[in-house]
Amino acid sequence: MANEQTETVTCRINGIEVTVPRGTRIIEAAEQAGIGIAHYCYHPGLSAPAMCRMCLVEIEGVPKLQPACVTTVAEGNNILTESERARESRKGTLEFYLINHPLDCPICDKSGECRLQDFVHAEGPKHGRLRDAKVVFGQDDFGGNILYDGDRCIMCTRCVRFMREIAKDDLLGVVQRGHRSVIDTFFEQGLDDSPFHTNIVDICPVGALLDKDFLHKARVWDLDHTPSICPNCSQGCNIRIDTRDNLVQRLRPRANPDVNSYWMCDYGRHSYEWMNGTDRIEAPLVRDGDRLVAQNWQPAMLALLERLKERSGTVRVVGSPMLSNEDNGLLARLAQLLGAASQVYRSARAADEVVLPGFPKLARRRELAANGRGLEALGFQRVGDDQAKGGLTSADVLIVLGDELADMPADFGSDASLFVYLGHRLHPAARNAHFVLPVSTFAEQEGTFTNFEGRVQRFWPALQAPPLARPAWQVLGVLLAGLDDGPAPADAANAFLRVGSFFEPFAGLTYEMIGTRGALMNEPVAIGAGGGD
Amino acid sequence: MAYPYRHERETRVLTEAFGDPAARSIEGWKKYGGYEALRKALGMAPNDVIEVVKASGLRGRGGAGFPTGVKWSFMPKDDSRQPHYLLINADESEPGAFKDRELLRWTPHQVIEGALIGAHAIRAKHVYIYMRGEFFEPAQIVGRAIEEAYEAGFAGADIMGSGISIDVTLHLGAGAYICGEETGLMNSLEGRRGQPRVKPPFPAVMGAFSRPTTINNVETVATVPHILRRGAEWYRSMGTEKSPGTKLFNVSGHVVRRGNFELPLGFPLKDLIYDVCGGIRDGRELKAVIPGGSSVPILAASECDINLDYESVAAAGSMLGTASVIVMDDRTDIVKAVRRMVEFYSHESCGQCTPCREGTEWTAKIMRRIEAGEGTMEDLDTLLEIGRNMTGTTICVLSDSCAAPVASSIAKFRDEYMARIRREVPAGALTV
Amino acid sequence: MAEQKTELKGGNDGWAGERGDFAHLSEADVRGTSYVGVRPLEGRAAGGACSYPYQLAEKHPEAPLFEGPYRERLEKIKSRYPDAQGALLPTLNLAQEIHGWLSPADMDRVAEELGLSPVYVRGVATFYTMYNKAPVGTWLVQVCTNVCCNICGADEVMQAFLEHTGTEPGEISDDGLFTCIPAECLGACGFPTVVQVNERYFENVTPEDVPAILERLRREAPKQER
Repeated sequence: MANEQTETVTCRINGIEVTVPRGTRIIEAAEQAGIGIAHYCYHPGLSAPAMCRMCLVEIEGVPKLQPACVTTVAEGNNILTESERARESRKGTLEFYLINHPLDCPICDKSGECRLQDFVHAEGPKHGRLRDAKVVFGQDDFGGNILYDGDRCIMCTRCVRFMREIAKDDLLGVVQRGHRSVIDTFFEQGLDDSPFHTNIVDICPVGALLDKDFLHKARVWDLDHTPSICPNCSQGCNIRIDTRDNLVQRLRPRANPDVNSYWMCDYGRHSYEWMNGTDRIEAPLVRDGDRLVAQNWQPAMLALLERLKERSGTVRVVGSPMLSNEDNGLLARLAQLLGAASQVYRSARAADEVVLPGFPKLARRRELAANGRGLEALGFQRVGDDQAKGGLTSADVLIVLGDELADMPADFGSDASLFVYLGHRLHPAARNAHFVLPVSTFAEQEGTFTNFEGRVQRFWPALQAPPLARPAWQVLGVLLAGLDDGPAPADAANAFLRVGSFFEPFAGLTYEMIGTRGALMNEPVAIGAGGGD
Repeated sequence: MAYPYRHERETRVLTEAFGDPAARSIEGWKKYGGYEALRKALGMAPNDVIEVVKASGLRGRGGAGFPTGVKWSFMPKDDSRQPHYLLINADESEPGAFKDRELLRWTPHQVIEGALIGAHAIRAKHVYIYMRGEFFEPAQIVGRAIEEAYEAGFAGADIMGSGISIDVTLHLGAGAYICGEETGLMNSLEGRRGQPRVKPPFPAVMGAFSRPTTINNVETVATVPHILRRGAEWYRSMGTEKSPGTKLFNVSGHVVRRGNFELPLGFPLKDLIYDVCGGIRDGRELKAVIPGGSSVPILAASECDINLDYESVAAAGSMLGTASVIVMDDRTDIVKAVRRMVEFYSHESCGQCTPCREGTEWTAKIMRRIEAGEGTMEDLDTLLEIGRNMTGTTICVLSDSCAAPVASSIAKFRDEYMARIRREVPAGALTV
Repeated sequence: MAEQKTELKGGNDGWAGERGDFAHLSEADVRGTSYVGVRPLEGRAAGGACSYPYQLAEKHPEAPLFEGPYRERLEKIKSRYPDAQGALLPTLNLAQEIHGWLSPADMDRVAEELGLSPVYVRGVATFYTMYNKAPVGTWLVQVCTNVCCNICGADEVMQAFLEHTGTEPGEISDDGLFTCIPAECLGACGFPTVVQVNERYFENVTPEDVPAILERLRREAPKQER
């Protein structure tokens, strides 16, 4: 063809003019114009079979309604998503979805975030006209984490396509034909060994696929949703933490095309109970002889400062890859000021990484903690074995942040002249500390993690820490101020800037720059260089 | 002659050899002029073959009536980048249609020869004959004929010494009406569930195995050798201007003589029923006719004074389709017949599109209830509205085909529905 | 019409359709069996070597799949498609030809043969009506009840078959010989009612014909251990 085709096309959608690259689908162009088109089977991360027939729109001059999910925009198209024909079509299609649906919202987990509810409420029929028996399939355990309810299923096949195209683990299929068609596995074979299969629960528009972990646990309208980063490996999947009654109820992925697309692994998704752990350190504890006595913060901090200024001997510092750049960064600064002999951390590592074949940027990484790369950039070194055990040496001045010391002998640190423990729980070794200071977990504060490729990503507080616990950066900031190293940062954003002022990899980055998509730190992504990949 | 009855008003082109068991073999077929057309076509440029078929005005005989020469011209003119395929749609499953079976079992070489000529015209090196799985006997016959063709050098490498090589493969389906839809057929051929595809992309661009493909009906390709041998003008001399040529009319139902008859297009429907087919059985009266297979609107007896060509039947509010004429006498229970047709569509729906998957079975449920005398007035409105929501909203037209007999029968035989609807509501009963 | 029927039946007791003006043709002429001859199990020319999803009266549910002449035919079939998946329906046909039905183990075996996932094969096998997901009798009797046969009495023919075999639709009769099910349009609408028994069509069947058809099938049934 000799004709030069333009790079972009211009059309009108509901009267709004939109210019898009040639080849853009109507549903994508509409999104750019701020217009949502109801759909089920389409998903931006998967193929588009155009079979749910919800997204049919009217194009002026075209006799039949066209599916917006596969029809590309042509120059001059006048597209109407809210014309009478389009609305009648959606209403009719919704009626077809409802006739065999069990309408069991009162006992369905999806209620409140169900797209059948949403669209029917918006423009579905008000009354049912079916006078006959419904088609019944019943429930099926698919193995792994999944319960399938065939009656609620709308046959959008997103789950089948996810397993085939993204997990590349063809374990689900449509069986039978016509109104008897249903989703199933190969007889007794289940989803058990497929490490990403729970993503199908997220993409199911209705309550046909249920996560056994979340079954009947909480109503979604009681949940608070907080954007965060998965702490369970160094991939740094963007997630949303859903909480109720100050307990984490579930984790869900958040879309980030540079990190995890729309997905997360099952291991990370289900490893949240530790955030709900109780038996936390409730107040600052100061040693008095062989007892630890609860104190208020101010007298405890004043006493600690005195002891720091009087210190002598070797200083060793232990950080934690489960805590933020802000926490560990100010600890690293303190280590610098005190002339620490070593700055170390421990982290668990798996034998291999598990890649998501359809989106290979995402893998459950070997390092089973979120911030190893951040710590490397702050000058920490990894010690200990792949079970995060051993590797620690005591010192005259021992400052431990976050590491629970659960495996250390009961007398670890008892020989230190000054042992400061900033953490969450009191394992035997931590009881040897002179100062035990309760700090918040990552889920209880604002901060950043640095993932395996050096991407700095923000998270927000999803839980309330015990009343007297404080973010570690706040505690350390006060200590640094007491050592005349500048004013204590008033908030996490300033703590982050402070870290950047001392450590080149973070220099010049701000929370605004990081936003919700993350930003790479200032060094080339070094593959295999420390950082836990 | 058509099978199993000969009638003097027939124009025998495709059906000349019907009923002659010897015509199945290559030697027998040659006596009817077989493989002369192939020899001639292989000596022509592909584009020239397309032009002849275009000039003849031959329209696809699988139901859509799309001009065959035009369809062939959609194929790329160069097959050096990707192989082309010709698929022969022998999945005849439309209720009322039984013409392709006769062509396949009486004149397998006619079909093979036409397919080879078509493949040459569209520069395809491979022909797949997709036959429905139930057609075992025709499949055995066609399989044997393919072997003969290879043995005689009329298929495979260097056909008749022309330097052109075309392979023929017989492929059987396994029982799914929807595999007669061209994109469903391609999916089934590829070893998938036979679900229709969204168009675009069109088969001529991206078809079977993602390569340029043309799909033709058995009767269409069976006509091609005759057009090549005797010329486009000859073909146009029969039939009407917009619907030239002859057609196999497969007549079933309540006529005296059921079977296939080859007649020029434009033949009057009344003549077909009363003259060629001997009128209604047992001295009964005509009640309704479905002129083109169960997917087209029903015609009441009063609407049957029409000619059988694509335009005239469309003007009468129905479609010629496969020319599968189902004749119903005055004893026919229209509601029962429509119920059975709707159950067929429900059974055969592939299940992809929601309106069809849910709508066909819902329609069937209501029809069953009405037939059992448990219907209500509301049900008629519901049926019509379901039908409207099922028309023009899906990937293929199976759901449209389900809606057509329902809408046309309610419009034209409303009294039969009304007779079954309970009009008396017992005093004190709740109204729904 | 009844008269003509009796004449035909006197000439042969086959049901190869109304012969109208071709009454001189024998059943073999109409069915084309002499033209077809005996088809070798391993097939001849690859183009015609296809497999059929039909029922053989003689079934071997325990036989190994795809060995011997079947392996030869399968290789010919596979060579006709650009990828292994294209050969899926023919391979399923062949498995059913040997075993008489498709068990989960058969689907798994086919999946393995072609390098496809088992659930995918299951999805394809359950899409098509002719693949039996349970064993059937020696003779699978499929009676067309679709509209053209329906308006000519197909429901009564179906009923007659059920009564005379003492079965419900889909069941195997006590003697193991018959399974009767309704079928959709078989493509022989001019000869109602059409009944497909394994690989043959019986046409123009009336309820009165049913006992004679069943008798013939009993005679033709292979002796088989059940």
